[in-house]
Amino acid sequence: MIIQKISRVLSNYDNILPLFAGACAILAVLALLSLPLPYFEDQLYPKQIVPGSTLNPYDRGGPPFTRADIRLQYPENSPTAGYVTAYLTPFSLFLSRTTMYMGTTIVAHPGGILDEILYNTRGLDTVVEPTILFVSFAIAAYIFHRRED
Amino acid sequence: MNEIGGVPLFFLEFGDIVTYFSPFTLTLFLLALVFTVFVVVSRPERQIDIAFGADAFFAKEISLPELRFRRFMAIACGLACMGAMVTGDVFDFTLFVSLVGICNVGIVAAVRTYHVRDAAYQYGLVALAGTVPLFSAAAMVAATTGTLSMLELASPAAPPVPLIARALLVLGVMGEGMAPFYAAKAEMFRAPGAPYVIMCSLSSLLIFLRVTEVVLLL
Repeated sequence: MIIQKISRVLSNYDNILPLFAGACAILAVLALLSLPLPYFEDQLYPKQIVPGSTLNPYDRGGPPFTRADIRLQYPENSPTAGYVTAYLTPFSLFLSRTTMYMGTTIVAHPGGILDEILYNTRGLDTVVEPTILFVSFAIAAYIFHRRED
Repeated sequence: MNEIGGVPLFFLEFGDIVTYFSPFTLTLFLLALVFTVFVVVSRPERQIDIAFGADAFFAKEISLPELRFRRFMAIACGLACMGAMVTGDVFDFTLFVSLVGICNVGIVAAVRTYHVRDAAYQYGLVALAGTVPLFSAAAMVAATTGTLSMLELASPAAPPVPLIARALLVLGVMGEGMAPFYAAKAEMFRAPGAPYVIMCSLSSLLIFLRVTEVVLLL
């Protein structure tokens, strides 16, 4: 009987979103109650703020155009690791030398700071992320076009 | 390592993201692959509606542009499924799962039936909201263990993943199309065009099977 009642509520798809929101809220409260979670100090992908660096917070160490020491999960899979971060385009190099804003999200761009972690060792993530974006664009474009005909 | 899905047979490295093919993930991968090939080669069914009280029926035609778009979305969904089945990285897994969710909306977005479109909209909202627990789970795993690699997390020496991170991961995957939030998807199946619509169902079955392995591995 109770299953019948539950399934009757669930069969109305207008109830799905409030139900999911409720489940998220309950878990969020449980997550807050389980705080503080232990922070693991030995992070694989550290991100430290170096106050003097113009490449903040993407400064992975090392001067441009030389090899930097980078921590990797599987160093044997990325033999060229350490060479990519060091590369800055001439414009980015100019920015990093004259201003402190090179690392801000508005100024940082692919080819500006080629972030080693993002573009080399975790390259598959970088491919999947724009794929999600492009698929959403494709859906939106199709729906928009369909209204016109 | 904790071998829930069997001993890995083959590793495919993408830098730090190592996809692995164990008997379990390989089976799921092949299932997604076979169904994707099936979607590529098949033509959609033409749904027949019987008119009550009269000796008549209607066949719903699917126009060529609609067919093309839905086939494209079904193939994208199949590829995302294949990625989610074999990836050995927690963050990469969450990305593939959210791609599956968006592709599922895309498969039925082209349908003109009001009821189906409404259900797809509701499902899309849940899939959108589901990314919050999904990615917060990945962030929690990274913060509490220092790594995202499932192979590292599966080793006994790895720091324990908090229970709440696993719970958030499961809730996020549920939001992308599992019971009980599945009801909106059930309505979506009323859309004409059988092989493409079944991709919605198959993808959620596959990510359900995979997330059980991931949660037990962590």
